[in-house]
Amino acid sequence: MIRSPGRLLRGALLLVLAGLAGGCAATAVRPWDRDLLAQKQMRLTPAPMVSAVDDHIYFSKEGSMGGMDVGGGGCGCN
Amino acid sequence: MQLTPAGRSSSLRARLGAAACLLLAAGMPAIAQAESGATTQIDATALLYGERSRTNVAEPTARITRRFADGQSLSAQFGFDVITGASPSGAAPSGTIHTTTSASGTVTTSPAGQVPLNSFKDSRYAADLEWQKPFLRSFLSTIGGHVSREKDYQSLGANGKLSVDLLQRRTTLTAGGGVNRDRVFPVGGIPVGLSDGSLPAMSSALPKDVSTLMVGLSQVVTRRWLVGLNATRTFERGYLSEPYKVLSVLDGTTGLPAGQRTEKRPSTRERRSLLASSVYHLTDDVLSLSYRHYRDDWQVRSQTFDARYRRELGSERYLEPHLRYYSQSAASFYRSSLVDGAPLPEFATADYRLGALSSVTFGATCGFRLPGRPGEWTVRAEYIRQFGEGHPDTAVGIQRQFDLFPSVDIGSLLIGYSIEF
Repeated sequence: MIRSPGRLLRGALLLVLAGLAGGCAATAVRPWDRDLLAQKQMRLTPAPMVSAVDDHIYFSKEGSMGGMDVGGGGCGCN
Repeated sequence: MQLTPAGRSSSLRARLGAAACLLLAAGMPAIAQAESGATTQIDATALLYGERSRTNVAEPTARITRRFADGQSLSAQFGFDVITGASPSGAAPSGTIHTTTSASGTVTTSPAGQVPLNSFKDSRYAADLEWQKPFLRSFLSTIGGHVSREKDYQSLGANGKLSVDLLQRRTTLTAGGGVNRDRVFPVGGIPVGLSDGSLPAMSSALPKDVSTLMVGLSQVVTRRWLVGLNATRTFERGYLSEPYKVLSVLDGTTGLPAGQRTEKRPSTRERRSLLASSVYHLTDDVLSLSYRHYRDDWQVRSQTFDARYRRELGSERYLEPHLRYYSQSAASFYRSSLVDGAPLPEFATADYRLGALSSVTFGATCGFRLPGRPGEWTVRAEYIRQFGEGHPDTAVGIQRQFDLFPSVDIGSLLIGYSIEF
């Protein structure tokens, strides 16, 4: 059961914003510092096909959807 | 031109910096590769999915991507699902053997005291096309289309996105939208909502339209840390009910079934979700975390936590454990059954997927390359368990003896192969 979604959401947002503010202020990542960031596993969606399979599974078994992208099609499974 | 030592050093540094910018600021390996010519990537996955005593799915998918020398790419994906088994009909358990006859005439027998199931068999074909084009050095446009067809459902969709890189490519903003023009044509026609089955089908087919808007931000925080924030808003309109689902009408005292009615959901739905993601590169390994908050105007609220830890094993092998937790509240019109003699509500469903439930997923992916062979393999095994309130306070009479939400146990095996040439 959801206890306090608003509080958790605010906490997650604060975490991200704090990270953004702190990280950006502390470090200016130059293009030649991107050796790690250029790796495939450092993408937010490193395996789009697998993510699409997962989205399909969870869409058919749960009441929620969305979050990452706008592509993909409908399904009669839910 | 003769340069002073100081000037040569400065010029050399500037040129090296510019060269590094050209090579690395492009960011995407695909673009870097495209400088030397076009490449082709082929990805294939095969999913085997099984629910204990319920649904089984086999789903092979293939995708081919052609990346051109100017940075454009064109990809096509084809998928095919075979789905067999049974899913809960929505009816409540009873003290006797329950027999369900589907619209196609399939008869399913459920043991006494267990949630009645509907047997089904279906297949689904899907094709997707996507075209990406970079322009003005910092922009990337994406256009896509989708078509899929199954026995009782058809989906046609189009989508587009525009991304722009800012602040020396440390920040990427994305905005996009998509529309689906779907059509529902169940076997036996579309039933009248909340009818007892005595009325003829109201139509043979009805539309379902879906529009999605998305805005996203990704930010390089440090050399090892990338974060993202995505918001989507989805509008659905049309036939949103499940044509094969029913609700039991129970005697208010004994809890014994007195009949059943079809379900009925609103004809519109507005969904909103917010996804926060983080990817952090440790010494060798990568930790990915995400949190999604979701809500809609059917009063479903959900939260999803997802964690992956990619452990590098050397020799281009890795192991990635995965943990996911999901929790949702019930839709405002969800009820496990109706009471005989009570006024009918405007909307009602007993589909457990719109009830309060939680899911836990754990599994692991293993990635490797075979010695002397091109391409990368991945093998993933996962276990999902869904659970909810099996003995709610609202249960009456004999229903208190039954588990109204038996846990759903799901196992899946996903095998993937990717090669670029």
